[in-house]
Amino acid sequence: MFAYVLRRFAGAVPTLFIIVTIAFFMIRLAPGGPFDLERPLDPLIMANLERAFNFDKPLWQQYLIYLGNLAQGDLGPSFTRRDFTVMDLFRTGLPVSIQIGGMALSIALVVGVFLGALAALRQNTWVDYMVVGTATFGITIPTFVIAPLLSLFFGVMMGWLPAGGWGTWQHMVLPIATLALPQIAIIARLTRGATIEALRSNHVRTARAYGLPNYVVVGVHALRAAILPVVSYLGPTAAALLTGSVVVETIFGIPGIGRYFVQGALGRDYTLVMGTVVVIACFVIVFNLIVDILYAWLDPRVRYD
Amino acid sequence: MDKQSILEVRGLNVEFETNDGVVHAVKGIDLDVKPGEAVAIVGESGSGKSQTTMAMMGLLASNGRARGSARYRGQELIGLSERKLNRVRGEKITMIFQEPMTSLDPLYRIGRQIAEPLIHHRGMSAKAARARVIELLDLVGIPNPERRVDSYPHEMSGGQRQRVMIAMALANDPDVLIADEPTTALDVTIQAQILALLAELQQKLGMAIVFITHDLGIVRRFADRVYVMRSGEVVEEGATETLFGAPKHPYTKMLLAAEPTGRKAAPPAEAQVLLEGRDVEVVFAAGGGWFSRSAGEVRAVDHISVALRQGQTIGIVGESGSGKSTLGRALLRLLPSEGTVRFVGQDISDADKRAMRPLRKELQLVFQDPFGSLSPRMTVGQVVTEGLKVHEPSLPARERDRRAVEALKEVGLDPAMRNRYPHEFSGGQRQRIAIARAMILKPKVVVLDEPTSALDRSVQKQIVDLLRDLQKAHDLSYLFISHDLAVVRAMADHIIVMRQGKIVEEGPTEAIFDNPQEPYTQALMAAAIDGTPFREGVVEA
Amino acid sequence: MTDTVLPVEHHAAGRSLGQDAWIRLRRNRAAVASAIVLLLLALAGIVGPWLTPHSYDRIYPQYVRAPASLEAYPKEEAILPAFESALTRARVQIGEVEVSGSTVRAPVSDGEALDPRIVRYIDRSDLFSNARLEDADGNPLAEGASEGVMVADVQRLRFLFGTDANGRDLLSRILIGIRISLAIGVLASAMALLLGVTYGAIAGYLGGRVDNLMMRVVDILYSLPFIFFVILLVVFFGRSFVLIFIAIGCTEWLDMARIVRGQTLTIKRQEYVQAAEALGVSDAGIVRRHIIPNALGPVVVFVTLLVPKAILLESLLSFLGLGVQEPLTSLGLLIAEGASNMRGAAWLLIYPAVTLTAILFALNFLGDGLRDALDPKDR
Repeated sequence: MFAYVLRRFAGAVPTLFIIVTIAFFMIRLAPGGPFDLERPLDPLIMANLERAFNFDKPLWQQYLIYLGNLAQGDLGPSFTRRDFTVMDLFRTGLPVSIQIGGMALSIALVVGVFLGALAALRQNTWVDYMVVGTATFGITIPTFVIAPLLSLFFGVMMGWLPAGGWGTWQHMVLPIATLALPQIAIIARLTRGATIEALRSNHVRTARAYGLPNYVVVGVHALRAAILPVVSYLGPTAAALLTGSVVVETIFGIPGIGRYFVQGALGRDYTLVMGTVVVIACFVIVFNLIVDILYAWLDPRVRYD
Repeated sequence: MDKQSILEVRGLNVEFETNDGVVHAVKGIDLDVKPGEAVAIVGESGSGKSQTTMAMMGLLASNGRARGSARYRGQELIGLSERKLNRVRGEKITMIFQEPMTSLDPLYRIGRQIAEPLIHHRGMSAKAARARVIELLDLVGIPNPERRVDSYPHEMSGGQRQRVMIAMALANDPDVLIADEPTTALDVTIQAQILALLAELQQKLGMAIVFITHDLGIVRRFADRVYVMRSGEVVEEGATETLFGAPKHPYTKMLLAAEPTGRKAAPPAEAQVLLEGRDVEVVFAAGGGWFSRSAGEVRAVDHISVALRQGQTIGIVGESGSGKSTLGRALLRLLPSEGTVRFVGQDISDADKRAMRPLRKELQLVFQDPFGSLSPRMTVGQVVTEGLKVHEPSLPARERDRRAVEALKEVGLDPAMRNRYPHEFSGGQRQRIAIARAMILKPKVVVLDEPTSALDRSVQKQIVDLLRDLQKAHDLSYLFISHDLAVVRAMADHIIVMRQGKIVEEGPTEAIFDNPQEPYTQALMAAAIDGTPFREGVVEA
Repeated sequence: MTDTVLPVEHHAAGRSLGQDAWIRLRRNRAAVASAIVLLLLALAGIVGPWLTPHSYDRIYPQYVRAPASLEAYPKEEAILPAFESALTRARVQIGEVEVSGSTVRAPVSDGEALDPRIVRYIDRSDLFSNARLEDADGNPLAEGASEGVMVADVQRLRFLFGTDANGRDLLSRILIGIRISLAIGVLASAMALLLGVTYGAIAGYLGGRVDNLMMRVVDILYSLPFIFFVILLVVFFGRSFVLIFIAIGCTEWLDMARIVRGQTLTIKRQEYVQAAEALGVSDAGIVRRHIIPNALGPVVVFVTLLVPKAILLESLLSFLGLGVQEPLTSLGLLIAEGASNMRGAAWLLIYPAVTLTAILFALNFLGDGLRDALDPKDR
């Protein structure tokens, strides 16, 4: 198992390398640069800046330098937020994003699996219709519609919660709700479908034929099979939720890392963009690994190889 | 009948609510099972034989409804609350199913699954249950039960899984064991072992067995009493000997007569050799991906030589994985293979697709699955004439249509149906369409790959008769691939027995059936041919 | 379960699977209703902008953030002050302003001769049109007169959905937004379809190493976060309508490629394809007669689910300010504007949000209906 984890990480290195390479050359080949301000800088200062950040060297050299720094864990300075290194930005922003994303993920998992299983067990009753209807709603309405509507209703019209900002637990409620709602919907739908399929499977029929009580038939035999697709779904989703959402952070004004990519790309903050790419890719790799291990633990047919 | 029935079914009805209206699957049937008795319910697919027992056990699909009465020792099972029903099923009445591969939960060890009924019905401790499970595994002939108790289902073969199911069924010493086609998904030799095991256990433990099957051979050797079902009704019932000796209902008579009969005479010795393979070898790479070299290879066909003469039928017999289908395809050059293949003297071993195209007209293939071998998006007419478009492209549409009508008539189908789509036909009809598609080209050699295995017995017989008639009319040569010895005996004049890619034994049909030399052939024959009694205490091969 | 009897229907002509699916689809009320809603919305997006009295980029400075209303603007109480303030700007003495029906009149005088050009001050307002100077009898004012009556027609404007923060008619903008969103959705899906089907069919049909390599490429592209990819594309090439649908199409074809490849692989293994090979049918014939028709069902279903996805992505890009550029608009952009103006002008958020939701719902229901209709499990 330990060897497996090592092997997986070794396998992730080329993927990471390809992603970093594509991202590096795409953003660097884009027109414009980090020092293109409204007022052009003095050519002398410009030249100094370019020398300081190695922009005067050929691109492939810069690429190698970047890779070298990256290997040592140095993501470089931010160009748009002077005085900060990219690492500083993540050190302050990442905990915020993880806090919100982690809460949303936990809530979505618990509520989604519960609702999905409930709907499947009460198939074709009003409970089922309610869950399916709500889930369709949650899947269809995009975050950038839910977020301002929640903010408008609970923040502006009712005044129960702050419409935006960061600081107290009240500030976290609406962002977490926004992030969790669509995930609840997706997980509920996934769980429902898988549970219904599991309930129809031959081995559940066997369990019924042997007079096992309902809680064993459902809890032991149906739900474990039903949870498998949810586990697969969780990998990329967890990575996405924990690395922040640009929509939610923009609308509620949250100092997470979700906005860095868009801002970095628009401001040609090369190091910030690259840093975000690396962080997101690492999250994806780690969570896919966790999910695979979890899956193999839940399903003995899957082995580590 | 001196003893009181322990299972008493009266006027049982089963209905299913479907999109196309209510389907009445079981129409008011009566059944009786007495203690220690072996009762068989026989019927073809769609006769309602499985749904009868599903209804008794409260296992109908959610769109199913049961009416009527089914009593176990006087207790009404239909409409019984789940809690009370659970005191009967798994404890007094147990069940084994047709699908050994899926009937066990893949996520749990078999020991735990067998123990569950013990723990829930008898309140046994986990430890005591485990000891009992090991005992049971030993009883059903699983070697190394102390170790196998911790296996997962996917680590066992189909036959072993069915043994595990039987162990589970016996766990609580039931009064009645319902076996729903327990051997249909298994190879013949494994089938024989499982049946022998069931017979032995019944003798030893004395429970009643309700045996649901389509296979009359099993019924005759196994059951004390038989119910024959058709379209949801019991058409005839009686003691096995009486029913087999003097069937009353025409349907029973038809079923009994459905066993393919007759023998085929060998072609004259001077008949021309049409298709010949020498040292044919097919190797599949097993596993292996983009970066890794293949992990190993499977020799599916291992140096086999065959010579098919004009008018001859060679039967290729073997269990799943024996390489018989692969051999058929290799001889038609549909798979890359080593060795020499000749067609009418011409070496086609290295012929590519283009070179083979003109020969395809002479070398045809009919498949096992009549549902998979017809494109669902083409009309029957289009299916049948597809080959004509390739080989006689200049044929005018009217002439093509005339040929299609002719071909459909020849296989016994109404040509007016040629504008319909395959999904509107039954399995037997579809197989006729597939045969028409091959025959319209007037081929010399036809490879028949299990053409009757997916069909009911009564339909099988019709297809066998059709194939024989076509052979006579057109002097065809067949390569008949099958695991079904009864059908092979009726079709072939020469038999090749295959196992793991190699020929075990070959010779004229009579010789192979009457006097098999190799132990494997003998086991196959013993397993498949009617009247052979089950040997006691068969061990897993 | 294998043991149920299914009644075999007998038709004279036979019904293909496609016809069966069509009949099932028509029986699905949610899908039919969604199709109608979509048709209406598409129609609104196509012809709507020509039928509304306002152009989507016309700015009415006097009607900034006018609330949605069925009544025409200006409101009665707004006419008088607006007329007075316009006249004040003309620097003339004003008598009592009198509103009658749809005309406003006020006696005006000046120390010297009235300059006829002062009507411009009135016309410039969004509230009035056809301003003119008349004498007391209603005839055009003679040149050089220092007294007269300023008459103007009240311009009745309807803003059914209100106006935005720049004073543009929201209804016209939503209609244009529908047009843009649907167009990008359809074009991006068409692009993904083209790329995905070609790529997937080649990979699936050739199989082996080529397939392995091609799918490895897809896997790598998959691990790139979508938004990252699109943003880089937009940053790279600048923002334009064409670029957006290309960017979305370029990211959405991956799923399509996987589906088509899977389908091709499955169908290739089917016995009817083997039968065709045994008949000597050429590769091209097998692809044309067997693989394409049988792979079509899942592809159609996937396309209907692709369109809402593309629309969603476009809206997201626009929301982030990376989509179409002002004054052109899209539903995502309108929602972003609504979100920043929701205090005091909630309609700016609500109407575009409802429209987008309606489109997405209708597309999803239609897709679900199609999937149910085409699902082979049903048969």
